Order: sequence, then structure tokens, then C-alpha cells
Amino acid sequence: MFTLESGSGFWNPLIWILIIFIAFLLFYGIRGFGKSLYKKGTEQTKAFLSGNKEAAPEEMHVKASNLYWGFTVSMSSLYSRLRKMHTGNVSDYLLWFIIVLAILFLVIGVI
Amino acid sequence: MLSELILRIILGTLSVAAFGVFFGLLYKGIDRKLSAHMQGRIGPPIRQPFRDVAKLFEKENIIPDHAIPWVFNFIPLVGLVATISILLYLPLGGFPPLFSSGADLIVVLYLLIIPSLALVIGGFSSGSPYAIVGAQREMATMIAYEFPLAILIITIAWNLLQKGVTSAFSFSTIASMPVWNQVTGPLGFIGFAILLVVLMLVTPAELSKIPFDSPEAETEIAGGLLVEYSGRNLAMFYLIDGVKTVVMASIVVTLFFPYNLSAFLGLGSYEAMIIDIVFYLFKIFLVILFSVTLIRVAIARLKIDQIVYTYWIPLTLASLIGLILVMWDGVIMNIFSFT
Repeated sequence: MFTLESGSGFWNPLIWILIIFIAFLLFYGIRGFGKSLYKKGTEQTKAFLSGNKEAAPEEMHVKASNLYWGFTVSMSSLYSRLRKMHTGNVSDYLLWFIIVLAILFLVIGVI
Repeated sequence: MLSELILRIILGTLSVAAFGVFFGLLYKGIDRKLSAHMQGRIGPPIRQPFRDVAKLFEKENIIPDHAIPWVFNFIPLVGLVATISILLYLPLGGFPPLFSSGADLIVVLYLLIIPSLALVIGGFSSGSPYAIVGAQREMATMIAYEFPLAILIITIAWNLLQKGVTSAFSFSTIASMPVWNQVTGPLGFIGFAILLVVLMLVTPAELSKIPFDSPEAETEIAGGLLVEYSGRNLAMFYLIDGVKTVVMASIVVTLFFPYNLSAFLGLGSYEAMIIDIVFYLFKIFLVILFSVTLIRVAIARLKIDQIVYTYWIPLTLASLIGLILVMWDGVIMNIFSFT
């Protein structure tokens, strides 16, 4: 009943929603046994910065590009080649486009 | 019919939640005790995780000044609830899944992302630079390990499709047709052995355990995405960690070791049930021992670029080799049978 089937895969979202609803009620109730109070507006609510003074949020901002640091460093040789290919020259991009199209036509022709 | 289904969902969810939380915390205690002994320490008692949760419920639930309160409070619950929901689709204790027709392996893989995303969103909503760095690392780790994991899943499903199975992603099908019984020669065996090693190395990253715990990295970013969490919210994340350990170990057991002892011993009725449950719990313990405890005791924490490299180069190549060996398995054996 209401099962989505893709041929090889399947999922019943209604059952999942019911499970989620019941589990949510259960753990929301259990969470309610925990303490909810804390000392607002004290040192307690300041971000932990290993003893350093907390700056304004815009000054502590971590750039989103930082996310890719692990990828750019671990595959630096690949990225340095890709950067060289990104010349900003439209003629170069058109040339790449034609080369890729030629390869595609060759592959399609051979197959 | 409908009322029966709803009753089954209610009772199933409550019992599976109790099972996941209890055994998640128990295995956490065993893991801590064993790793302490391996490092020459006495370590905490096995019941310590239960005490930790009880203590966290008594602690103040601090919400930082720069946090987004409703997201900060809501997201640990979302992560825990999603993790519990996975258990209902997995074969537990030698029994078939409670809702085997409710979701397949692909859905479970997507559901596995929710607890990790909950950590990421919780980290971003904390308003702490440490938590944001941790959240970014968690996202990078997720992107990294999904690649070899996807190849592994496709290999198992492809192998079943070659045997003429229509629902190759169904957990019931996978559990009833163990991969080791499907291989026809040594190449397939080696291929699946490589894929098992890959999955055992993806498990600690899924669970944010050493050496893949750079998103938390206590000695560097003071707990990373959890640095601002305390009290009952931290208790929810603590429970997610325990339940997700049982989930990941159950997935490994279902994909590679879905065997039951009762069939070998020729047992029936209640004896068979008890033996199968005990054997399942033992298999879960072995998976946690090899993919969490031994690895985290033996290896130091990797930097995030090393984590990305580990998953995208050696482990992706290893899983591709595993895939090729499994594909060649039947072909090579067919050639030999013709000559």
C-alpha cells in the first residue's frame, strides 16, 4: 500500500513518516526529563574559544570555501592542472568544446 | 488491516528504539573498556555510558548567545529519530526486517546521511567557529566516504541481479542470499573480501571514530561540532552515536554475514530464536571490535585532507578492483568450463 517502486528499488514513505512520528514522540518525551534551565546572559552562553576573547560574529566567520580545503590539498596536482586549463579565454573553451564533441562523435561512430 | 499495520508500527518502533539505545550504549561501554585495556588502562565500567546519559540529563542545557535556538534544540532529536527508523528496515537478531517492504538498501543509505547532516546543521547553528570548522570537516568526510560505499552497494546488487533476482536492493533478499554463497570462483571471493575491508574502513568514518574523527578532534578544535552542546541535547547526540554503531554493524552483518546458527545446529522454536539472537549480538560485537575498537586504538587521527585522500584514492580504487573481480568471477569460470 502506497509503496513507491522504481523497478529495482522501493520505498513506502507513509510507513517511514509514521515511524518517525512515533519515535519523535517517544524521544521528545524522554528529552523532557532532562534539565532545560541554564544561566542566560552569563559567561556560560559565550562560545568556547580556548580562553580567547570572543569577537563579533562577522569577525569569527569561517569561509564556506574552507569546506573544500581537504579536497584541494589532497588532490593539489589535479587542481593545479584544472586551474591552468581555466584560462578565462573564450577561444580556449570553444576549442575544448570542439575537441570533446569530436571525441563523442568518434565514440558514437565506432560503437 | 490498517489498524494492525499502525499497531505493528507503534510496537515495532518502541521495541526497536529500546533495543537500539540499550545495545548501543552497552557496546559503547564494551568498546571503551576494551580500548582502555589495550592501552594499559583499567578504563570505565561497562555501564558507564548509561551513567553518562543519566548525568547529561541532569546538566544544564546551555544555548550559546550566537546560536539559532530552535535549530540547535530540534536537530539532535531529528538525528536520533532518523537513526532509530533505520533499525526497523534491517534484519535484527536473525529475524527478517520488521518492514522489509518499507524501504530498501538505497533508502537506508540516504537515511544514514540524516544523523551526519544533523551533526552538521547542529554545528552550523551553534555560532561557534570551532563547531563550524567541525561541521565543514564532517561534510567533507561524508562526501569522501560515500564514493567507495556506493561502489560496494552497486557491486552487491549487480551480483544479485546477475543471478536473476528482481529485488536486488531488498534487505530480505540480500540476507537470504549471502554474497559468499553467490561466488563461483576465487576471483569473486577475493573481490568480496576487498569490499568487506572497504566497508569495515567506511564504518569508523560513518561513526566519526578515530582515525576519521577530525570533525570532533577534541585536542584540536575541542569537540568541533559538539563543542557548544551540553545537557540533554548532548545526551541525544550521545544516543545517536550508540544507536548508529548498532545500525552500521547490522548493515555489515546483513551484507556479508547474514548466517544463522540455528540452521546449522538443526534447532527449532525458542531455542533457535535464542541462539540466533546471541549469535547476531556476537557478530555485531566482532564488527565493532575490528572496525572501531582495534582501529581507534592502533591509529592516530588523520587530517581532513588525509581522510579525503584515503577514501577517494586507495579505498575507491580498492572498491573498483573488488567490483571488477566480482564481475570477472563468473566470466573466468565460464571460460574454464568451456575449455
